[in-house]
Amino acid sequence: MADVDATKSLSGLLNGIAQKVYYNNPEITEELLKSELYPDLSQDEFKALHDKMRGLLKSIASADMDHTQLEAFLTAQTKKQGGAGVSAEQAAALSRFWKSQRTRVKESLLSQSHWEPSLRGLSWRVDLQTAAGRGDAAQGGPVALVELELGRMGQDSEFVCLEFDEAKVNQMLKKMADIQNSIDSIVHRTSQQKNAEA
Amino acid sequence: MSTSHTKDSSFLGGRIPPEIESLSKNLKDVDQETFRKILKAVVSALEGKDCREVMKSIAESSVISQERLSHIVAGMYRVLSDAIRIPTSSLKQEAFKEDLRDLRIPEEFITDFSSVVFGNRRAALEALTLQNDPHLPTLAELKWRVDVAISTSSLSRALQPSVLMQMKLSDGTFHQFELPVSKFQELRYNVALILKEMNDLEKRSILKIQD
Repeated sequence: MADVDATKSLSGLLNGIAQKVYYNNPEITEELLKSELYPDLSQDEFKALHDKMRGLLKSIASADMDHTQLEAFLTAQTKKQGGAGVSAEQAAALSRFWKSQRTRVKESLLSQSHWEPSLRGLSWRVDLQTAAGRGDAAQGGPVALVELELGRMGQDSEFVCLEFDEAKVNQMLKKMADIQNSIDSIVHRTSQQKNAEA
Repeated sequence: MSTSHTKDSSFLGGRIPPEIESLSKNLKDVDQETFRKILKAVVSALEGKDCREVMKSIAESSVISQERLSHIVAGMYRVLSDAIRIPTSSLKQEAFKEDLRDLRIPEEFITDFSSVVFGNRRAALEALTLQNDPHLPTLAELKWRVDVAISTSSLSRALQPSVLMQMKLSDGTFHQFELPVSKFQELRYNVALILKEMNDLEKRSILKIQD
């Protein structure tokens, strides 16, 4: 029973650290984690545990370890002697946590090094212009109205509205196919390299 | 049947605008040369050109009073702009001429009006009026770059491609933004969907009301 509780507290701690460090959740503090998860531990004991877990997470996250790398890393850690080492339960909790959070943590870390505004959202509408104040436009064909939501991290969004006729949409789509090809060629090349390394 | 005899309503609609109604009266005694000069000025005004100088020289060289001249210009402008609004499939040249005859416009002027509305200038005038409709800016240029982040301050081994896009809009503004691959694919999917939607719309042609 105590083991179950210990496991729960440990994964609670890891998730709490992730909220605080990687997901920018200001509501999670060290004090909160201690009082909710480890009320029986002394301040010093909790701090040691907290800092150790944070350090391990940082190593795992910054190297973006895959499963094999993580296992090797944790095995090495469990073999360490004394307080610096990691217990089997802690290794298991870290492994479980990383399995579920790797993608999200990586995204968060990547976005920390992005300075251009990013595309947050996109909405669009296709209209058929039927008439206008001057001139008849029924021959104009359909028109797409597109709204792009752009914004930098932590800043309000900016909205850009623009209009496309069919030819322009077609052009845009062609460019996007080019971009996709370019991405594919890179991803393909790196995966080949990885295979070569392995 | 006798559709050719029953006349459809005038291209001017139910109520004739006052500046057109008084046109025949104001055009009395105006010779064709002067009329053509004014017509030329009005057409260039429709084309969005500045014709203040031309109008001034017409006003100075002609015997028509300034007030009457301004009524004539207003009437001619209205005749032309109202006629060009209606697609040629709906307003036939004969019907247009007939409408002007009903307004007692002299026959030689009718021919001149008609040559503007149905002549080879028509396409240019239509394109221009289309441009004057309210529009959102369009995409003038799209530049892109695919980057792969190798390593960052927070991630020692990032190896993540991302797309940087720069759009120049027709209003001259630039917008630059970055897309992770997943977001790029979402954008591409939506653009493809827009194109499909537009194609479907054209196939169905739900709104082709050109009789």
